[in-house]
Amino acid sequence: MKSTLSRQRGRRAALGTGLACTVALALGACSVPGAGSGGQTQELTGGRITEPVTPKQVAAHGRTELRLIADSGDQEFLRRFVPLYEKKYPNVKVKVETKAFADFSKTIVNTMSGANPPDLIQGNQGYGVDGLLVQSGLLRPLDDVSHAYGWDLDFPSGATGQFRWSPDGRLFGSGNLYGISQSNEYVGVFYNRKVLDKAGVAPPKTWDDFTQALKKVKEAGELPIMLGNSDQYPGEQLLGTIQAQKVPVNKSRAWINGVPRTTFATQGNRESADELREWAKKGYLGSGYNGVSSDDAVTKFTGGKGAFLVAGSWNAPAVGKKLGDDAGFVIPRTSDGRTAAAGSFGLPWHISAKSDKTDAAVAFLGMMQSRTGAQAMADSGRLPVATEGVTMPNALGRQQADTGKRLLDDDGQTFYFDWASNSMLTTIGSATQDLLTGRKDVDAYLAAVQKDWKAFRSEQDEKAEKQGGGR
Amino acid sequence: MTAAAPPGTGADSARAGTSAGSSRRGDTRIRAWARRQYWPAYLYLLPGAAFYVLFVLRPLLTTAWISLFDWDGLTLGSWTGLDNYTALLSDPALRASLLHSLVFIFFYALLPVAAGLLLTGLMVRIRIRGLAVFRSLLFVPQVLSTVVIAVSWRWIYDTDGPVNGLLRAVGLGGIARSWLGDYTTALPSVGLIGSWIMYGLCMVLFLTGAMRIPRELFEAARLDGAGPVREFFTVILPALRGEISIALVLTVTQALRNFDIVWNTTTGGPGNSTSVPSVFIYQGAFVTRQVGSAAAIGIALTVLTVAVCGVIMRVLREREG
Repeated sequence: MKSTLSRQRGRRAALGTGLACTVALALGACSVPGAGSGGQTQELTGGRITEPVTPKQVAAHGRTELRLIADSGDQEFLRRFVPLYEKKYPNVKVKVETKAFADFSKTIVNTMSGANPPDLIQGNQGYGVDGLLVQSGLLRPLDDVSHAYGWDLDFPSGATGQFRWSPDGRLFGSGNLYGISQSNEYVGVFYNRKVLDKAGVAPPKTWDDFTQALKKVKEAGELPIMLGNSDQYPGEQLLGTIQAQKVPVNKSRAWINGVPRTTFATQGNRESADELREWAKKGYLGSGYNGVSSDDAVTKFTGGKGAFLVAGSWNAPAVGKKLGDDAGFVIPRTSDGRTAAAGSFGLPWHISAKSDKTDAAVAFLGMMQSRTGAQAMADSGRLPVATEGVTMPNALGRQQADTGKRLLDDDGQTFYFDWASNSMLTTIGSATQDLLTGRKDVDAYLAAVQKDWKAFRSEQDEKAEKQGGGR
Repeated sequence: MTAAAPPGTGADSARAGTSAGSSRRGDTRIRAWARRQYWPAYLYLLPGAAFYVLFVLRPLLTTAWISLFDWDGLTLGSWTGLDNYTALLSDPALRASLLHSLVFIFFYALLPVAAGLLLTGLMVRIRIRGLAVFRSLLFVPQVLSTVVIAVSWRWIYDTDGPVNGLLRAVGLGGIARSWLGDYTTALPSVGLIGSWIMYGLCMVLFLTGAMRIPRELFEAARLDGAGPVREFFTVILPALRGEISIALVLTVTQALRNFDIVWNTTTGGPGNSTSVPSVFIYQGAFVTRQVGSAAAIGIALTVLTVAVCGVIMRVLREREG
């Protein structure tokens, strides 16, 4: 009897322990979230780079595996470029991982904060990805590399602001250089020569030509602009295209970078929003655009619907494939002869602050920014930053390269409004839908955008203050 | 050997323990309950329970814990207590999205259940050959990936799509429009996609339930002179109480947590006219990096869903006895 009792108790105790364990397991996560995340590193990972890294220096490290994670948009480029790199640096084996942009941009921050992050990654301009990576001290500053390789000579200094952050990662647009890119991406105007011919309009060269063309195409009974805005960002890009004509580039950038006491409700922005609303009213954008996805808009445009498509230069392969020589591309010049557009460089490449293969990683970026990298970019159907001596694959590509060069020479990338805050993509996207349909008047539109900006700025200032106090 | 001991052995020993123990009633009751248990049986539950705790309870508790912080998902979070919850109550955009969810309950739950019941009523009276084939076909929307469904319906609703084509063909071109891009039609249009996904599931559930109704009940009803309507309300509907409850719980849950269809058809637009709480969770967690507040919305949504489903199950529970 007694032994049964104790056995019973023993079993119950075991069950109790099991239960306690499971509860403990369930509660185990209860520490302050983010505890143990790395602080800012003081030293420059891998030492200061003063001259371009040579194959000999890289070879001195022996067999090296360089791990990188990139957006799948760069897959084709990497497929061409990586073998060239491995040939020049034979002791390095590059392990490439690519992910579709949506997955990539959502997971890259956590991947980098892990114990064994990849050596090279692509980030994303703005607070959501790059800002967080800098705040957490996960990226190696590249100012020394930039000097050593002369990138600061190739890039217009204003435009490199998109890769610059204050060391605490709270202010965007100035400070250390954390990234670099070989791709140039901007919003321009695609046109369909056939539709323009039907309306008796010549391809536009200036903004005046363009607005006149819209009117004439409409009068000829054709759709002037094919817009697909269910993804919400194409409307923002259309506004940005108009706005780049009317507002000095550094003014737009200052607001996007969060310079104190700047506002979205400027006279230039008001005029731009007014003009966009007018276009919608006059039927230049057709009807139903808020229900058409951006991909579908490209398909409809290449199917012959619409004289113009205001879209990213990265749509060139899709447009050129279907329309061939009927397709053209332009950024209409401003009234004072400048070239300016909503645009930026491609996703920035970063070196991990935890990487112990800095030489190989620097060599990778150095070669990517060279003519070899530029040609590989062009061959993969994309537009490189450096276009001197690079052969573009077709006429549309050459047009884009010329326009892109003018854009860089004039330092005319305005960046994108949605970089201004983490929630701006949604805020300005849905507000622009409201503006187009007249649900919001211009004043309410500008106010809604500025309200988001202000809330985000005060949040950033508050956090910077807290961080400063803690250090 | 021990594990195979008959339950009685344990009960005896437990009783011996009680007689020597305390006199408090609650304690006695617990002991009485404990005495009735066959403890080794719980060992069989352990593997399942461990998985449940690890992959359901633990994430849920972690989420609840994170919801008490202001956290960007990476750097050190700061404790804010219930601030995320009070902020959530005063957010007009979120309130609007909750209203959209209620509209979705109509389209995702009430409409499919009504359609399923109607079709069941018809199919019980009219014997259809190849019923199994029909059933599988009607179940297809349930099996398809929601992204595929969203893309197909985007085309169906397109300005140049078949819905508008049909309208123009019958001379109703005046009401043809971009169904997903229009502020007034976007919400019901997305809702109808949900109805289409859900009604097959409801019908299959109800048909299976109706098969189990004894033939005699129908015969008795018919002998008493019941027409098809009377028969539906007195025989079929009461017998399907359990199935209706299950169907409503499944569909209401889908309606409240709806994300994929909305995201892939309208991204919550035009404006904010189709936003739902899940869109805010996604944006908070992955885009704006307000992980704490996203977790708070998640927990609130979970509580709401469980509460609504609890009410449904309570109202529609089978009468005992």
